[in-house]
Amino acid sequence: MPEPVNSGGSGLFTVLVADDNDVAQRLCKRVLEKAGYSVLIAADGLQAVDVAFSQHPSMILMDVAMPGIDGLEAMRRIKAEMPTMPIVIASAHSMASDRERFLAAGADNVLSKPFRLADLVSIVAKLAQDKKARDAQ
Amino acid sequence: MLPGARPRTAPKSTWARGLVRRLTPLTAIAAVFAIQAAAGAGPVLVFPLYLTIILLTALQLSRIDSLATAVLAAIGILIPSLVGTDQPADIAPAILLALVLMVSAVAITEVVRQGRDVAADTQRKADAVAASEERLRTMLEAAMVGLALADPGGRWIEVNDRLGMILGRTRDELIQMNLDDVTAENDRAALAEALVLLRSGDIVRWEAELNQLRADGTRVPVAIAITTASGHAPGESLLLVQETDISARRRVDGMRDCLVALRHVIVSGSPWEQAVPQLLSSLCAYLGWDLAQFWLADSGRQALRVRHFWHREAAGYEEFREQSRAMAIPMGFGLLGRVWQSGVVAALEDLSLPNDYERSDSARGAGLKSAIAFPLVESGVVVGVIELLGDHPRVVQDDEVTMLATVGVEIGQFIRRSDVAQALRRSEADHRAIFERSPIGIVRISSDGELVEANPAVLGMLAHDFEGMRENAWPDLLRAYDQAASRQRFAPLLAGITGGGSVQVRAATGAGKWLWLQLTATSIPDPNGRPEHLLVMIEDVTTVRETSDQLAEALESQRNANANLEKLDRTKTEFLSIVSHEFRTALTGIQGFSELIRDGGLEQDEVRAYGGYIFNDADRINRLIGDMLDLDRMESGRMGMRSGDVDINEVLSEAMARAGTAAATVEFKADLDPRLPIVAGDRDRLIQVVSNLVNNAIKYSPDGGTVTLSTRAEGGYALVSVTDTGLGIPPDEIGHVFERFRRVRSGAAQSIPGTGLGLTIVKQIVEMHGGKIWVESAVGHGSAFHFTIPLSVEDATPMQRRHA
Repeated sequence: MPEPVNSGGSGLFTVLVADDNDVAQRLCKRVLEKAGYSVLIAADGLQAVDVAFSQHPSMILMDVAMPGIDGLEAMRRIKAEMPTMPIVIASAHSMASDRERFLAAGADNVLSKPFRLADLVSIVAKLAQDKKARDAQ
Repeated sequence: MLPGARPRTAPKSTWARGLVRRLTPLTAIAAVFAIQAAAGAGPVLVFPLYLTIILLTALQLSRIDSLATAVLAAIGILIPSLVGTDQPADIAPAILLALVLMVSAVAITEVVRQGRDVAADTQRKADAVAASEERLRTMLEAAMVGLALADPGGRWIEVNDRLGMILGRTRDELIQMNLDDVTAENDRAALAEALVLLRSGDIVRWEAELNQLRADGTRVPVAIAITTASGHAPGESLLLVQETDISARRRVDGMRDCLVALRHVIVSGSPWEQAVPQLLSSLCAYLGWDLAQFWLADSGRQALRVRHFWHREAAGYEEFREQSRAMAIPMGFGLLGRVWQSGVVAALEDLSLPNDYERSDSARGAGLKSAIAFPLVESGVVVGVIELLGDHPRVVQDDEVTMLATVGVEIGQFIRRSDVAQALRRSEADHRAIFERSPIGIVRISSDGELVEANPAVLGMLAHDFEGMRENAWPDLLRAYDQAASRQRFAPLLAGITGGGSVQVRAATGAGKWLWLQLTATSIPDPNGRPEHLLVMIEDVTTVRETSDQLAEALESQRNANANLEKLDRTKTEFLSIVSHEFRTALTGIQGFSELIRDGGLEQDEVRAYGGYIFNDADRINRLIGDMLDLDRMESGRMGMRSGDVDINEVLSEAMARAGTAAATVEFKADLDPRLPIVAGDRDRLIQVVSNLVNNAIKYSPDGGTVTLSTRAEGGYALVSVTDTGLGIPPDEIGHVFERFRRVRSGAAQSIPGTGLGLTIVKQIVEMHGGKIWVESAVGHGSAFHFTIPLSVEDATPMQRRHA
């Protein structure tokens, strides 16, 4: 069972990757760490909620189809406690209607799987920049 | 003259007359004495004179008187001799003569007395005969019976007045006639026969009732008795004929019998149209009429028209009948019109006299000589008239008039009752016909729920006889009705149905067929308004019901088809969504890691690891595509099965062998039934099934454990079980394990890879072999998958097969 790992200090921009697929976990972790971010991993919805509450990541990259509670339910619970927590839904459900559905459910952005690595990095970078801007104010 | 009526002075005058009569002989004796004394005649001379006086006295007066006269005469003879001479010789002849005189007187008086007795006797006898004859004559004449003497041939010799009255002829007329002449023609033979018997002495008395003819041509019924009697001359025999007029008795008897006969017809209950001819014939037969017609006022009371006609068997009535039939008699016109108008009986005793009879000429032509008509009265209204006609003039008696008036009322009421009864019968017949012929089943139910009547339609419908219907079918129907009624919030059948409400119930016929019946109940109240009985209409609505059921079914199946289509559509969309998700998930790793490799700058280890990920996901996609294609071919029936003899035990061993190398963590156990027969099937597919189950068992036993494979024959099937001691399946997921992409991913099982199609394919293959698959599981204890494959028809075990 992969334990959430604090991949950086509190000053770092920390991304929680919630995905039940270990290949996806490894890919995201590899790419985001390479890009300079700290990465936390959760393998299902409940873990994602727990880690979000306990580790206060800077943002969450959330898969949808996960055992237990799915990504949308986890997002709802997290947003209920942390309304400003940026959550990006990264799902293989990639029909046009799915994107709307996820945004309507409260997602800050949507990343369709499979994705280009640059897209993942630019979405995270954008949010990191927003955070930096907010922190600077 | 009666003794008491005699005047009181009569004895004295008789006595006086006797005294006078007695003076006569005294005077005669005195005269003779005087002559004797004066003439001095001798005793011999006066003796004859005295003797004559004594004789006359004896003849005229009583014996005492005669003897007294004789004494006086003897004294008369003696006195002169005693007085006139002294000579004894002179006295002796006188004494002798006196003695002779006395003796003669005694003798004379005796002779006279005897003579008188004889005469008196004769007189008495003659008187008696005369008195007797007088009495007889009086009796004869005063008798209520007609009496006559006739000679043996029947010729009248003597008749009394009564007989003359009976026959309407004078005695003198009758004397000229014969018994036969006054007897009605049809009675003559009987009479002649009787006379022969009487003459021969075979019988001495003959009694009969027969009709005799009066001078005016009418008939008179008489009771006749003829007795043989002796005549004056020896050997001569006479007939004593007695006749009584029994016409009064006959009429009274006739009227009584007529009333009995009429009432018999009236109470018989026949419709009046049928009864009237009988009434007419009874009237004629018992009252002695020859023809009768029944006239009825038409509906507008404009005219009387003849409705029925009856006459004795005789010819010659046709014209009269035709004329009557053609007539419409207005009120007040003629005999019938008068009776109609007045409502009282009227008669024409002699149609040959001037009269107002409407059909006088044809009546005369038919030989009809008298008529009487009486009204038929109902509730004070004359509804018709019956006329009776006779072939002879007749005197209509008051009692007959009274009787006919009564009869008229009775017949009038009878017609009315009969009309009402007929209307009732017609109505009843209508209802009966409806009941009997109705295509709808009708049953009549008593107020306590018993079946009273069931029409043929219902018996046919339910294939029961009445008993079966009453005992079985009806009680069931009643219950069914009440159940159906309560569902519709109707009252139970026996709780006061007022009409209306239908219910439909399901019922079995006697032939075991199930029908839908529609029951409509109506209560029929008794005169007090309480439900007396119920009518239940029973219709077979099976066809309607089935049609509507079929329609509903068709609609339902259409709806289901639509729903299925929608579901299929949804399933397809869902499937596409799931499949694309699976592919994209696999592609995420492939694309991402291949992009990393492409961009370079990786360690050798990293490249190898990433290549491994890429390979695994590509392989996964390949398997996914293969499973999907398999499933599609199976579900669309396009996957051919290579059917052959399969030894299930061998299949299991093969699957174990394949899995064994990949699964060092679990321990295999086999519990194979060595006598398991060969089955027919596709060996490769069955290996696929078992391998899949075995792989699942290994996959879901991450911490090791035991996987047990067992086989046995059970109920015509080979039962195969793959049991593990692994994670088990949560209860909320166990129902879905055979659905596509429904992988158990909760808890410890979440990271176990799989396409989510394996069990779906397994199920398909088992079912294609005609078997079943199911699973038992408990979380933490493991799962047991069981499937069956039907045994081959030829129930051969592998051993037998091999040694065959």
